[in-house]
Amino acid sequence: MRPLLTLIVLLPLAGFLLNGIAGNRLGKRFVSVVGCGLPILAFAAAIQCLIDLTAAGGSPRIEIAYTWADIAGSKFEIAFYFDRLTAVMALIVTGVGSLIHLYSMGYMKDDASYARYFAYLNLFLFFMLLLVLGRSLLVLFVGWEGVGLASYLLIGFWFEDPDKARAGKKAFITNRIGDAGFLLGMFVLYQALGTLDMDRINTAFMATTAPAVSASLVGILLFIGATGKSAQIPLHVWLPDAMAGPTPVSALIHAATMVTAGVYLVARLSGIYLHAPEASAVIAAIGAATAFFAATIAVVQTDIKKVLAYSTISQLGFMFVALGVGAYGVAIFHLYTHAFFKACLFLGAGSVIHALGGEQDIRKMGGLARRIPITFVTFAVATAAIAGIPPLAGFFSKDEILWFAFASSRGGAVLLYVTMATTALLTAFYMFRLLWLTFLGGSRMTHEVEHHVHESPVSMTGVLVVLAVLSSIGGFLSIPHYLEPLLPMPEAVPALEHLETPLLVLSIVIAFAGLALAAYLYGGDGARATALQRRFPGLHRVLSGKYFVDEAYDRFIERPLYWISDRVFLRLSDRALIDGSLHGLAALGRRTAGGLSRIQNGQLHLYALLVLIGIVFSLAWSWRHV
Amino acid sequence: MIESVLLWLFAGTALVAAALMLVLRHPMRVALALVATMLSLAGVYALLGVHVIAVFQVLIYVGAVMVFMVYAIMLLDVRDRSYTRRYSGLLVPGAAAAVLFLAILAHALWRELPRTADGEGGGAMFGLRVFSIDFLNEYWLHFELVSVLLVAAVVAALAVLEVGRRRRG
Amino acid sequence: MLIATSWGLFALGLVGVIVRRNVLIMLMCMELMLNGVNLSLVAFAQQTATSAGAVLVFLVFVVATAEIAIAIPIVLLLARGKRGGLDLGAYADLKG
Repeated sequence: MRPLLTLIVLLPLAGFLLNGIAGNRLGKRFVSVVGCGLPILAFAAAIQCLIDLTAAGGSPRIEIAYTWADIAGSKFEIAFYFDRLTAVMALIVTGVGSLIHLYSMGYMKDDASYARYFAYLNLFLFFMLLLVLGRSLLVLFVGWEGVGLASYLLIGFWFEDPDKARAGKKAFITNRIGDAGFLLGMFVLYQALGTLDMDRINTAFMATTAPAVSASLVGILLFIGATGKSAQIPLHVWLPDAMAGPTPVSALIHAATMVTAGVYLVARLSGIYLHAPEASAVIAAIGAATAFFAATIAVVQTDIKKVLAYSTISQLGFMFVALGVGAYGVAIFHLYTHAFFKACLFLGAGSVIHALGGEQDIRKMGGLARRIPITFVTFAVATAAIAGIPPLAGFFSKDEILWFAFASSRGGAVLLYVTMATTALLTAFYMFRLLWLTFLGGSRMTHEVEHHVHESPVSMTGVLVVLAVLSSIGGFLSIPHYLEPLLPMPEAVPALEHLETPLLVLSIVIAFAGLALAAYLYGGDGARATALQRRFPGLHRVLSGKYFVDEAYDRFIERPLYWISDRVFLRLSDRALIDGSLHGLAALGRRTAGGLSRIQNGQLHLYALLVLIGIVFSLAWSWRHV
Repeated sequence: MIESVLLWLFAGTALVAAALMLVLRHPMRVALALVATMLSLAGVYALLGVHVIAVFQVLIYVGAVMVFMVYAIMLLDVRDRSYTRRYSGLLVPGAAAAVLFLAILAHALWRELPRTADGEGGGAMFGLRVFSIDFLNEYWLHFELVSVLLVAAVVAALAVLEVGRRRRG
Repeated sequence: MLIATSWGLFALGLVGVIVRRNVLIMLMCMELMLNGVNLSLVAFAQQTATSAGAVLVFLVFVVATAEIAIAIPIVLLLARGKRGGLDLGAYADLKG
């Protein structure tokens, strides 16, 4: 059996090394070929693995690449695992990843650090593949941390700007806070089960005798890690700031792949969560709260990328709700469709920004539909997909989530459904608002910007078209059924089964209602929208201020920490105690010396007396035993 | 019998004269007390039978060292500040330490009396003839070394006084 | 008894160095110490069969002589100097 999995992982790593070390010297063409070609090869290898998997009837393929440590009988290996879930994830990562690499060729063409960009992008891909293909939680964690690192490097890509560098730092640190929970979860698991291999963990939890550890405890600890990585409350604060990075980075990392790592983690360890109702309830609650909360903020955002960022947070909330009610396959389904339309949206936004020469404020856009038509059409298709308009991809996945939120026997509830349905309405609304303000209506652009508007090159628009097509037809590939053997769907509560079709209709109504509302408020000259804003100034202020979460964190967490660091650790411990004790010792030495030096006063009489005293003492001492 | 009485007498005189040294004011009188001590010691040596050492004591110590000392005293004006104030600031601590010292010595003596019974033993080794032969045969190195020492002392004395330096104008 | 005497002489000499101010008197007390040592040497040397004791006593004489030979000129210099004269309490040149 060829070591294909290892190859998939190592190809982007090779790209990173080559571009990182030699890229600057070997020119943009080399960098492009290596940087884009290797991910495409990885994609091809992933397809081959899928073919092999299907031929083997779905039984997982395990490759052990290297035994890292063998300590007293417990082995820590770097092993890769490929089953249906991995297949979906790997294909998304390599597929959408390759597309975004191709897009970057056009987008970053004029950037001075072209080689560094592709090196970091390949590095990211390497770590993401480690994460997805890893068999044990340890390998996954290496990938987890690695994508955090790559995210930091790429968000702060233009690091000469201190704000951008700070955004990178914020992302990394917020991730790390979540990782503390993840580590604790790993420790508990290892102590209870003696292994970190995820397939073995699942088997252990699904066995008739449950292991002697609370599944909910482990579940919540690991979920804390997921909140950090997937930007759920309370660790969501880094994602909007992460928009400081180049737009393809936002598309790849903060829409399609890295932020979905948390979802993948929970889905992969479904064995634990099936036996952890409390943890699942927590996940669903936080997912719903985050989804609603982020959607409300997105309604008033004025930066095109920020709208999409909050939209990502909200859609991740949807995925976590699905996980929380036991519909793991559905969550992965939404992950899959979301990757397509969100990447398309972000890349479309990148195209708009490129066309407008850097403008990101949607209040200064408008009327672009005719001037950059390809971007417009693909963006519109993706918007419709995310809003849930049938038969595009988003409709299928979102409807399934809403259904299971309502009727799942593993935790569905009316309140959950109502929250998610409202969020769906808001989603449709703010996405169409974005579409209207950016592309339709009258132009609010400044004159020079308007003069330079041009459609993006083929390397960019081609990718947009591909992603739009996938957003349209992707829903017909029923991922939940494909994953059924691995991740069984929850049963619907029998009493509610008859409501399935009505709710389906309701989903469609919601989608169109959002569209209609947006058209109503923002169509024409958008006067009705501004009137509405003036009617509710307080609410608008709170939403624009993102519920002041960052400010709250600053006030209640950061400032006390600074205070403690400054007062207690710096002034008290370091200067007063540590330095003080050293100074004190030195001063003690000085004072003692000063005191003792008074013996040498130059008087011979004293010296003679000291001689006598010395003789007396020596005699007394030596005659002790006499 | 008479010998032990005389021995005690001479030893006592030596001690008394030594004690006097600490009390007298005029340096000349102190010098004379020291001479008395030395002569008493010479007497002790004679009584012990070591006549050679007794003679050397008188010749060298009294005859050379003390004469030189007296000469220096006579040369100098000794009625300076140290005449009026005899004792240094450390009189009390010094006395206390001395008492302690003597107490320890007495304690040691009490516990372990040295085997020497006074007056016994032989002055056999201290005969002039034997002494000279040994000194110049066995201990010839020591003999030469003390000669060197004496030469060094003379040179040092001359250097201290800067004899031979041309007087500058 | 002789040992006691010798120790007494030594102690008196040492105390004299500590207690008296005049440098000449201090010198003479140092001679006293040497005498005490000599006495104890002689007292012990009587017991041995070699003449090492006698030689050592003689060497002490010589050393005492040499010492005085140098010390007196130093004292003369001190007396000639302006500060303090023969009062050793006034000198603190070895301070510090």
